[in-house]
Amino acid sequence: MSLPGEFTYRRTHQASRELLFDCMTRPEHLAHFWGPDGTTTPLDGITVELRPGGRFETAMVNVADGSQYTMHAVFLAVERPSKLVWREADVEGGMITTITFTDLEDGQTEVVTHQSNVPPGFASAEGRSGFETSLRRFDDYIVALTGS
Amino acid sequence: MSTAPADELSVTFAALADPTRRAILTRLSTGEATVGQLAAPFALTQQAISKHIKVLEHAGLISRSRVAQARPCRLEPAQFEYVADWIGRHQRTWHERYDRLDEHLAGLREAGPDGTEEE
Repeated sequence: MSLPGEFTYRRTHQASRELLFDCMTRPEHLAHFWGPDGTTTPLDGITVELRPGGRFETAMVNVADGSQYTMHAVFLAVERPSKLVWREADVEGGMITTITFTDLEDGQTEVVTHQSNVPPGFASAEGRSGFETSLRRFDDYIVALTGS
Repeated sequence: MSTAPADELSVTFAALADPTRRAILTRLSTGEATVGQLAAPFALTQQAISKHIKVLEHAGLISRSRVAQARPCRLEPAQFEYVADWIGRHQRTWHERYDRLDEHLAGLREAGPDGTEEE
């Protein structure tokens, strides 16, 4: 599913909402898994100011050549253990990431990650709800057309 | 393709936001068609269809032949690949990240029931 630079990714993890929320917001956890494969995310390169308006920065170091890429984000919502929202101003016109944590009541938690760079004016002009509805199956559609 | 600006992506996604235009694309995925052929299944004027086609053309999703007089429309696969690439890139990032998170969680479980881990 997705849209104008918008997509949703769902995963179920064997852990409580609280632990998953902490994994996504505590440097000592983030250092274990944050950076893409082939990178490390050293503890001293992670900044988490866990409040709306606080900074969320992660410096990822490429293992092969030592080059570094830093994510610069600002938290928009911090609601432990159910929701986390941040915005990266310098990515693709302003990338907003929303992560929601839902208790599945059997020791598992569904984590839904939604990313969007839809400019606000653009979205309202189209009529937000209709727009999202019409594009909900976009992934499947693109895959069907490209045969990939 | 991967160097196309974010603005171009917005135009492309906006073009895809309309069900009529997506139906036109689906029809074109089976082969070239003229504006008249594309208009036939819709309760819309050929003029309205032409407008939709202009939007799709502007977004780079289709092109129109300059050779034949009927100027048939056809899909431009490169633009679809660009959009699919955008989605795929972001999905891959999160897929890998959550795979590593699962490994980290497994490590925490092994470390003890209180979920702490030695550094």
